[in-house]
Amino acid sequence: MSAPNSLRCLARPSAIIPRSLTSAPWIAAPFSTSAPSLAKAETRKGVMPGGHVRSGKKMQLGKFKKNAVRQGKSPLPGERKAYRKRIQLSNSNALPVPGLEDVRPADMVDENKIGRVMSIPGLVLDQLRDVEAFKPTQYWGMFRTPSTLLRAETVDLARRMQNAADKKDMLRLVISGERLTGKSLLLLQSLTYAFMNDWVVIHIPEAQELTTACTEYAPIPETDPMQYMQNNYCLRLLQGIRKANERVLSRLTCAHSHTDLPQNIPVNSTLLQLTNSAKEPEGAWLVFQALWKELMSQTATRPPVLLALDGLAHIMRVSDYMSPSFEPVHSQDLALVRLFCDALSGKSTLRNGGAIIGATSRGNTPRSPSMELSLTQRLAEQAGEEAPKHPPYAKGFDPRSEEALKSVRVVDLKGISKPEARGLMEYWAASGVFRAACDEKTVTRSWTLGGHGVVGEMERASLQTLRP
Amino acid sequence: MVFILGVNFGEHKLVRKALESFYALGPQTARRILAKYTIHPTAKIGSLPPKTVTALTAELSTMTIENDAKRVVRDNIARLRDMGTYRGRRHAMGLPVRGQRTRNQTESARRLNQIERRG
Repeated sequence: MSAPNSLRCLARPSAIIPRSLTSAPWIAAPFSTSAPSLAKAETRKGVMPGGHVRSGKKMQLGKFKKNAVRQGKSPLPGERKAYRKRIQLSNSNALPVPGLEDVRPADMVDENKIGRVMSIPGLVLDQLRDVEAFKPTQYWGMFRTPSTLLRAETVDLARRMQNAADKKDMLRLVISGERLTGKSLLLLQSLTYAFMNDWVVIHIPEAQELTTACTEYAPIPETDPMQYMQNNYCLRLLQGIRKANERVLSRLTCAHSHTDLPQNIPVNSTLLQLTNSAKEPEGAWLVFQALWKELMSQTATRPPVLLALDGLAHIMRVSDYMSPSFEPVHSQDLALVRLFCDALSGKSTLRNGGAIIGATSRGNTPRSPSMELSLTQRLAEQAGEEAPKHPPYAKGFDPRSEEALKSVRVVDLKGISKPEARGLMEYWAASGVFRAACDEKTVTRSWTLGGHGVVGEMERASLQTLRP
Repeated sequence: MVFILGVNFGEHKLVRKALESFYALGPQTARRILAKYTIHPTAKIGSLPPKTVTALTAELSTMTIENDAKRVVRDNIARLRDMGTYRGRRHAMGLPVRGQRTRNQTESARRLNQIERRG
């Protein structure tokens, strides 16, 4: 068990140190005649020895302003954002958990491992980092190594992915659920599974970056209705793909030659070379298209592909972009989004098997009535009930989004079960972040406080005070 | 530094802001121009390719902005004055045109209502 002092290094200083300590000590001892206290009192003008502040009325002429208080160096451009968005994946102050194992591909499809917390292997960790699978809001920085809880849903999803890869089939799936139920984390686990099984992974970490008109766009010539490419985003995506999938891509060779790219790519050059050929934003979309064509090639042997996206509601609506004729552009007219939606709806197929997984998000998400309705309909169909009808007088529906979600499978995430909660809390306790004894009573209390096992709420109830 | 219609803009200025800095070019027109050249609303001047910059300059030179727009305003005032209308006379006197009281607070009128109107 850890000493309480070691735990304090995890906490914010302001949360622990009482306020009175930070105020001037000489107020507490007004009769003290010690030299430092006096010196301090003299330096502060307008403050009486008893600590009373007498401001009084002062006239200030505009021209002779007092020197403003120097605030110190202000942060450089981008520094604040970098601090806000930083991701800390380990904490050397946290206790190492005895018996914590690295997850292996077989574990993720093993029923007996449900409820166990397992750490992500180092190699996969780098890959996940490259595809930006971790989010700053998640609690990784409180533990020694990044680990995840294997839930029943995780095992089910991994099995479906395994089936899809075995049968060269296509898994089309949407992860939905209330807020803080672990949707993004389930997506991360699916990415982990794909990386461990040498799939090619393409992950769009925030769909809003594509549709909120924050990145450059340009019309693709000879498309009707007009489609738009987003070269800057594509370049970033390609760089992520290259870094994360380097091992797999360097083993695969091109089945076609690509002469229309910025760099001529002959047959039999590796897919890594093809991906590397995107150096400038110009032509990044062409390179991405060529890569996709190669991955879908039937003539060569290709690994399964995982196409994942977080924040599904953002691509199920009209985007913030405007067309040259000043009409709003639908999100699905953006070429990258269209590629995802076509695959999700089953219009285009992954020839060598794979999975298309979209996760909804409950924070900073636009209202998308069509998506909500479609997901409830799919859930009802999966449960064998009658699907709710389209409300006749409601507004804001979008037929294209409904088309995209017409035949997907929906995973509705809810709270974790009590045995899973116990596994998770034992891990917290072993890491030294949860101080109370982890018995039936505490587990049940946290489980209930967390709205019947909503993971994020349980974390909030138990770990929020330690959040760095 | 990038020149658009003879004006020098810094690399970090928003394209939308740069466009709106021209007289008689407001938010609506600026949005339309951005859409026409498929520039996203948060684009900065430095990120524009040279081709788009020349296209923007060409587009702006065909529009009635800056001195052309100011001349239109002056012509309209001169027309009112030449016809001898009340509005024309009030402009010539530098007084409020639309029935406001003149007991006090006619700063804007004194500043703006002139035959050779500046702004």
